Amino acid sequence: MSDFVWGGLPYIAFTFLIVGTIVRYVVSERNWTTKSSEFLDKKHAKWGEPIFHFALLCVIGGHVMGILIPQIVTESLGMSETQYHDMALMAGAPAGILLVLAFFYLMWRRFLSGSAAYLKANTSTMDKWLYFFLGITILTGITGTLSNADGAFNYRLFIGPWFRGLLYFDPQPGLMLHIPLIFKIHMLSWMTVAILFPFTRLVHCLSIPFRYLWRAPIVYRKR
Amino acid sequence: MKIKAQVSMALNLDKCIGCHTCSITCKNAWTKRRGAEYMYFNNVETRPGVGYPKHWEDQNKWKGGWVLNNGKLELATGSKTTRLAKLFYHPQQPELKDYFEPWTYDYETLIHSKRKNHQPVARPRSLVTNERMEVTWGPNWDDDLAGGDSARSDENFKKMEEEITMDFHDIFMKYLPRLCNHCLNPACVGACPSGAIYKRDEDGVVLVSQDICRGWRHCIPSCPYKKVFYNWETNKAEKCIFCYPRVENGLPTICSETCVGRIRYMGVLFYDMDKVDEVTHTENPQDIYGKMLDVLLDPNDPAVVEEAKKQGIPDQWIAAAQDSPVYRLVKEWQIALPLHAEYRTVPMVWYIPPMSPILRRMEAQTEFPDTLSMRIPIAYMAQLLSAGNEDVIRRILRKLLDVRGYMRLRETKKSTAQYDTIYGENTLYDMFRLLSIAKYRDRFNIPTGNNVSREDKEVLQGADGFPGCEGGCFQ
Repeated sequence: MSDFVWGGLPYIAFTFLIVGTIVRYVVSERNWTTKSSEFLDKKHAKWGEPIFHFALLCVIGGHVMGILIPQIVTESLGMSETQYHDMALMAGAPAGILLVLAFFYLMWRRFLSGSAAYLKANTSTMDKWLYFFLGITILTGITGTLSNADGAFNYRLFIGPWFRGLLYFDPQPGLMLHIPLIFKIHMLSWMTVAILFPFTRLVHCLSIPFRYLWRAPIVYRKR
Repeated sequence: MKIKAQVSMALNLDKCIGCHTCSITCKNAWTKRRGAEYMYFNNVETRPGVGYPKHWEDQNKWKGGWVLNNGKLELATGSKTTRLAKLFYHPQQPELKDYFEPWTYDYETLIHSKRKNHQPVARPRSLVTNERMEVTWGPNWDDDLAGGDSARSDENFKKMEEEITMDFHDIFMKYLPRLCNHCLNPACVGACPSGAIYKRDEDGVVLVSQDICRGWRHCIPSCPYKKVFYNWETNKAEKCIFCYPRVENGLPTICSETCVGRIRYMGVLFYDMDKVDEVTHTENPQDIYGKMLDVLLDPNDPAVVEEAKKQGIPDQWIAAAQDSPVYRLVKEWQIALPLHAEYRTVPMVWYIPPMSPILRRMEAQTEFPDTLSMRIPIAYMAQLLSAGNEDVIRRILRKLLDVRGYMRLRETKKSTAQYDTIYGENTLYDMFRLLSIAKYRDRFNIPTGNNVSREDKEVLQGADGFPGCEGGCFQ
């Protein structure tokens, strides 16, 4: 069972994430959108949306650093594990807390605020599932980080190698057997989010329009 | 010289009766869908008034159009990088309440109501939330100067030096039908981060690709005319498509087709693409109109025709441009003006300023009124149509009055020599024919078919399926 959860499920999630996204792009690019709700409620979007997205980008950046860069690399650069952990906590915890606050603010905006009736038009059933699993991912993430403030559990010796192992197609489910429960839930929920990804509005994160910066202002196209 | 063809429209405001037929046919054809109920690709506003969406002309608020920044042209919403920072929240984006909340009525209650002492009432219900709502604003709330103070808060008054009192005895109004201007320098295209909005190479129609649009919403504040809309159901941008399925088949847009006042004209204009930059970079906004006329090419000039052929513009398009009612109104007679050219988008929908009743005290003294004594202040029309240049409006109204003077002489079999010396033999009669009689065939001249050469058409039909003929086998 644990072999499947830590050695098979991640690949199922990756497959959905990659193949599903490509299929969606090819088959129905027409509904590929940010699904912006600013038109229906501008007041609460003003602070909520930019802060949420900014914090999310910070958190993603932190994950890339923490998971993809092996401990040996930082150590060879002369940074001890405690130093690294302190740095990660100093930068990560505020970003994480900001993300949680912004997330709940946006959930309040969408489901409970005065604009909720309008935002209902912008919220599909799939969106609700997404918010549920995204919420679990974010909450377990911040709880894991804060409960592990002393660095007792060095995730860079377990989760990091496990994840990188998945990327080299050399899965090592054994690494994940004895990690704290909160991190296990965190893993399962992000995998769910990855499976849901191609079916949700999340795909808009792949559409950041960098090309716009180099484009000529006026576009001509033939019929 | 890079010659481009532009399907363009001119509207004779003198004959607009504000019946909204254009808006309704347009709505029935294109925006009667969930998410699009609030959109009017074409709407008719009573001026003075706040318009639709409310105060769309207030560019301090929306930052629409382009501005010259030390001689450099940039979008008023800021540079590319500053606008990418607005991806998550765009401070200048209008929201639903700036337009109006679309509603329907509970008609079912009229049928299924139980027997009561009072008649059942169909109460309004929001089409967005599906909940009961109070209707407090609509797309034509201030029609015919209704709706309280709306007329006084017209944006154009703020820029006028002349005081407009809006007292009852000299109150005035006119109608302004508005649609996408299919600009030569469209701000919506310049603002689209995804590159979804484009100007069609063949006929200049500005379209949003529903596939490429990602809903970043930057086009909406950037369009100074607020004619790009956000569909809250599909979460993509939509706009007037100039009825391209009709135009491609040589038919006028549905708003032009159904206009009961016959105020709309459609035809082809040729313009020099290399000169558009010059227009947009004009220092003084009042000079933009003149520069716009310079960009338009004379389709009867043999050099232009030769160059157009060389650049692959098909013969039927050249023929249509040579007999284009819009060209006649805009360039030949110079009686049609762009709406708010100072936004620097180089709009391609043109307006003939309306005449208006003369004030009574003048009426007694003169057979034909002077333009100054007309009810609609020249200064107000100048704000709308000529960036504040009153001479342009006065010159056009003078011309329109001369058409009437000429026709009066002609109909009473008197000598028209006084006009002929100024305008030439038949010019005023031609103007009368096109403006007043306005036959369907005279109003519209749209070339049919694809704007591609015969050879390209063969290729499009599949002739390039044969190997060995690079670019078609008909050279």
